[in-house]
Amino acid sequence: MLAELIAPIIKLGILIILVIYSIFALLIVKQVDNMSKTLRTPISPLVRAISIIHAGVAVGLIVLMFGALND
Amino acid sequence: MFSSYHEHPTNIQFEGQDEDEKITLLLRSHPITNLSWILWALFLMFLPVFLPAVIFALGFGNPFDLPSAYYSGFLVINYLLTTVIIFEGFLYWYFNVYIVTNKRVIDITFTSLLLKNVDLAPLENIEEANSSITGFLGTIFNFGNVAIQTAGANIAIHMIKIPNPVKVADFILDRTKNNAS
Repeated sequence: MLAELIAPIIKLGILIILVIYSIFALLIVKQVDNMSKTLRTPISPLVRAISIIHAGVAVGLIVLMFGALND
Repeated sequence: MFSSYHEHPTNIQFEGQDEDEKITLLLRSHPITNLSWILWALFLMFLPVFLPAVIFALGFGNPFDLPSAYYSGFLVINYLLTTVIIFEGFLYWYFNVYIVTNKRVIDITFTSLLLKNVDLAPLENIEEANSSITGFLGTIFNFGNVAIQTAGANIAIHMIKIPNPVKVADFILDRTKNNAS
């Protein structure tokens, strides 16, 4: 009974954290862009690519976890 | 490429660099200063390994009784946090730099996610450069601070936890106009 009450709260909590994380990941993309413009080094394009992939994974995980938690 | 003390670096440019301006020294905080976030990342990385055992030992039941999707959700959040600690830790270390050029000293600091601070001090205005090495790690790994004072101002640039602070202070003073003449 208690588990049935808590389960939706945990689901919602996980999804809210993932949404906040995705927003944060998108801000990191902007931050890396700003950093790479300020200091141009040979690894700047790689760091920028990692930040974009990271944001993509973060957004993708929301969809993935939404599906997994509703199974 | 990942050096924290780099004389005459090539393939590195900064925003606002003049065409005739050459970077003579690029500095970052000593790599050992990354230890705090590396330890946090390692702790979070191994948390899912030992936390269930601790919870079980404390008598709160078996955490593996949770539906697997919930357990996966916690794991995903944990490893996302680990990723962001590693990535942000690296970014702040790599992009917070001190640059000495043939014209000026530049301090580029990113203090938060979207806040950038750039301090400039022309070499001809530099009057003093004081170095200090403090603390256990600083003494062992030879890193410390360099405070650069310009004419008619307080400390203009404060280089924090950089390697070889004595050598850096000397390097900068050797390039000021006053000493050069």
